[in-house]
Amino acid sequence: MVVGDVTTAVSTLVVGAGPGGYVAAIRAAQLGQSVTLVVDGPLGGICLNSGCIPLKALISASRRFRQLNDESLQTMGIQLARASFDWGQMQAWKTGVVERLSGGVAKLLAGHKIEIVHGLGWFLNEKELRVEGEYGSHRLAFEKCLLATGASPRELPELPFGENVLSAQQALALTELPTAINVVGDNYVALELATLFANLGVSTTLLAGGDKLLPEVDQAAVRLVQAGLRKLGIQVVTGAQALKMDGTELVYTAGGKEKRLAGTVVVSHGVKPNTGKLNLKEAGVKTGPDGELTVNAAQVTNQPDILAVGDVTGQTPLASVATKQAKVAAETMGGRKVAFAPQALPRVAHTTPELAYTGLTAEAATQAGYEVVTGRFPLAANGRGLTLGSESGVALVVAEKGSGLLLGMTLVGPQAGDLIMEASLGIEMGATLTDIAEILHPHPGLAEMTLESVESALGLAIHTL
Amino acid sequence: MFEFKLPDVGEGMHEAEILRWHVKPGDTVKVDQPMLEIQTDKAVVEIPAPVSGQVSEILAAPGKISQVGDILISFQTAATSNAAPSAPEVKTAPAQAEAESKTLVGAGVGGGPNRVKAAPAVRRRAVELDVDLAKVPPSSPDGRVLLKDVEAFALNQANAPAAPVVVSGNGHAAGFAPSVPATNGHIQAAPITSAPTFATTPAHTAPAGGEERKPLVGLRRRIAERMELSWKTIPHASCFDEADGSGLVALRAQLKPAAEKQGVNLTYMPLIVKAVVQTLKRFPVFNASLDEQTREIIFKNYYHIGIATATPDGLLVPVARDADHLTFLELSAEINRLSEGGRNRTLKANELSGSTFTISNVGSFGGSTGTAIINPPEAAILVTGSLKERPAVVGGELVKRYSLPLSMSFDHRLIDGAEAGMFLAALKELLETPGLLLLNAV
Repeated sequence: MVVGDVTTAVSTLVVGAGPGGYVAAIRAAQLGQSVTLVVDGPLGGICLNSGCIPLKALISASRRFRQLNDESLQTMGIQLARASFDWGQMQAWKTGVVERLSGGVAKLLAGHKIEIVHGLGWFLNEKELRVEGEYGSHRLAFEKCLLATGASPRELPELPFGENVLSAQQALALTELPTAINVVGDNYVALELATLFANLGVSTTLLAGGDKLLPEVDQAAVRLVQAGLRKLGIQVVTGAQALKMDGTELVYTAGGKEKRLAGTVVVSHGVKPNTGKLNLKEAGVKTGPDGELTVNAAQVTNQPDILAVGDVTGQTPLASVATKQAKVAAETMGGRKVAFAPQALPRVAHTTPELAYTGLTAEAATQAGYEVVTGRFPLAANGRGLTLGSESGVALVVAEKGSGLLLGMTLVGPQAGDLIMEASLGIEMGATLTDIAEILHPHPGLAEMTLESVESALGLAIHTL
Repeated sequence: MFEFKLPDVGEGMHEAEILRWHVKPGDTVKVDQPMLEIQTDKAVVEIPAPVSGQVSEILAAPGKISQVGDILISFQTAATSNAAPSAPEVKTAPAQAEAESKTLVGAGVGGGPNRVKAAPAVRRRAVELDVDLAKVPPSSPDGRVLLKDVEAFALNQANAPAAPVVVSGNGHAAGFAPSVPATNGHIQAAPITSAPTFATTPAHTAPAGGEERKPLVGLRRRIAERMELSWKTIPHASCFDEADGSGLVALRAQLKPAAEKQGVNLTYMPLIVKAVVQTLKRFPVFNASLDEQTREIIFKNYYHIGIATATPDGLLVPVARDADHLTFLELSAEINRLSEGGRNRTLKANELSGSTFTISNVGSFGGSTGTAIINPPEAAILVTGSLKERPAVVGGELVKRYSLPLSMSFDHRLIDGAEAGMFLAALKELLETPGLLLLNAV
């Protein structure tokens, strides 16, 4: 790579190395494109370095610790002396996991002969991008450019990020564990953060603005999750309106009264697309009201040679969405005809019990115009659930009345996030309740929950009355 | 610099052969000026210049097979020097983005009750082939659209009449006539794309200069694919006969001067076509086809007669549509027009598809007779040999008379040998006494 203000012609230029950018770079290289990747920050993006992966690592570790103190161990005949943990060591272990994954991404990129340019990129015009980094400035003339610059935590106007108000990423990087933490938000990240800190014995309050947690999820399932949060000692306050920070105290109203809470505040209020620094005007690329890049199903923006994937498009900010869009975009750049058009979007919340859902809830299906039939199966009636010592959980299935076309599934219980894929596959394949009911499920196994909920929708459940 | 890529000029098309350029590097062109002729599976399509400007470079030489999306030509345009996007590029995309973004992610993504049941791989293929899934007739009784349904549908789309191409800046073609399935929605042929290839044949050694390899392209490739498909899927059987041609010769001699006065050169073919159509009406299974997917026999009440025509590039089968509704004179004129169009390669895709029965006049190619391969998905094909004087035994005496060798190949799944024999006998009777055609003339 030439340093200085010399224009270098590149073929496929990918900006951003998160789960959208690095996947697009690899897929484009697999398809025979010559790829240059502009990286501003660590390989793997937020998801790998400061978001999903660290959060899941810390939740797993904290859950292991929490389980040591669970009374169910005693009923199984297990007695433990007082267990303890070292937050610093837990963080170090998390960092090890992250580094291993990030190193893996670096090896993959190298293996695909993807050229990496470090620095912040912005457009000079619709054909050129300038990258300014530690080692100088590059002027890159591209044939195709894919933007995967992600998104940043969105602030609450009342609670700007600062010393006592942290984003989720900052909370995960705390070097010292606070004694009290107040999580503001009703989304899955807020619930997971509360779970993590409560597992470690931090006095935790979860403040949701509306009257529901996870409003888009079937509330019959959310009630079990909420009971789980309470069991961990989390104070759940709904209808809470944050007003301001007063020193180290959070001031908010709930039930018409003004209240105060001491402790570190963590805000999880969604994300804002990172487009501000791209100088999109010079490239003639249009953005939506939130600064998001509007794309078609082939991931192309209003400029035919500029594409975008992932959080920067303002769509559901999930790595699974970004990586799929990345593959679609890479194929589009390769001249293929492809579309991002999933039928089901599986989602997981790593709470205790775990929650996962895919497709439509009964409510959403009805709104979409379906006449629905539903089925339900409680974990307490599942043999494997009991042998795992878990009782709190449920499987809720939604299908079209008559045809039995599978429309949606919500699962609460151990490994819900993995078990959900049976239903997700079914929805994508256009499977019916009968298709699922005809399949053998291992016994005793948690997947039997899916089977029995489906049979319940068919009016043929064996293990419930 | 404006680069023009091979657009998808017919739904489902993946590649095309570059036939000839009407422009060369350095030429100044105006938008919509005829620029290029390409050959798709069947038809020749003319592509106009997408922009006004000067031709910089032609990147696809005549004879080259280009894939959709390959860059064919580049232009210097006024917009290029200003580094501003050329007008059509920005015009089309935003509306598209707006319309399509609505189909994207929400909490639950699935469509409403009109969702087409199709597996992800099938949906992906539909996007690739530019097929609207909602329009694809599902082959399974529960309404599930399968991969083969999409591919068959795409093939039908590709065989539909081509319309003038209007190319927008982002390389997509617009302005197509809606696709018309050629034979009442019947699937014309199994997807060609699934035909196995023999590309992996180990290279054999030959003395230098002893052989030359040429790519199987254009019409030759299309013929190869159709023949391969026919021979692999249809169990062929043949039967032969010979008709006394004296009646045909006499009738043509009688009608020819009158036809010429009306400007039509009368050949034997329209007489044979009329005899064939009347025989097809008596034996409907010869005008039928087998639907490979539903395993149903489709009987057709229309008579589109394909006439095998030799062209410098290879065999074409122009189709005389509704041959039973045309008068002798009209049919003669139509056949003359089709064979000339076939030789000059000016026929449209719809004039080269949709036949229900095919006749190959081997006699006109120089042989005395031969056997033919069925034109799928048809049930049979008739070969007429050379009409000439041959020795024959009539009433114990050796005489000289005109004779016409007949040979028919038929799909033995649908037709038994006895039926084929009866068909040929009935046809022979009409050919030997062509006046009988009047009895059933429309």
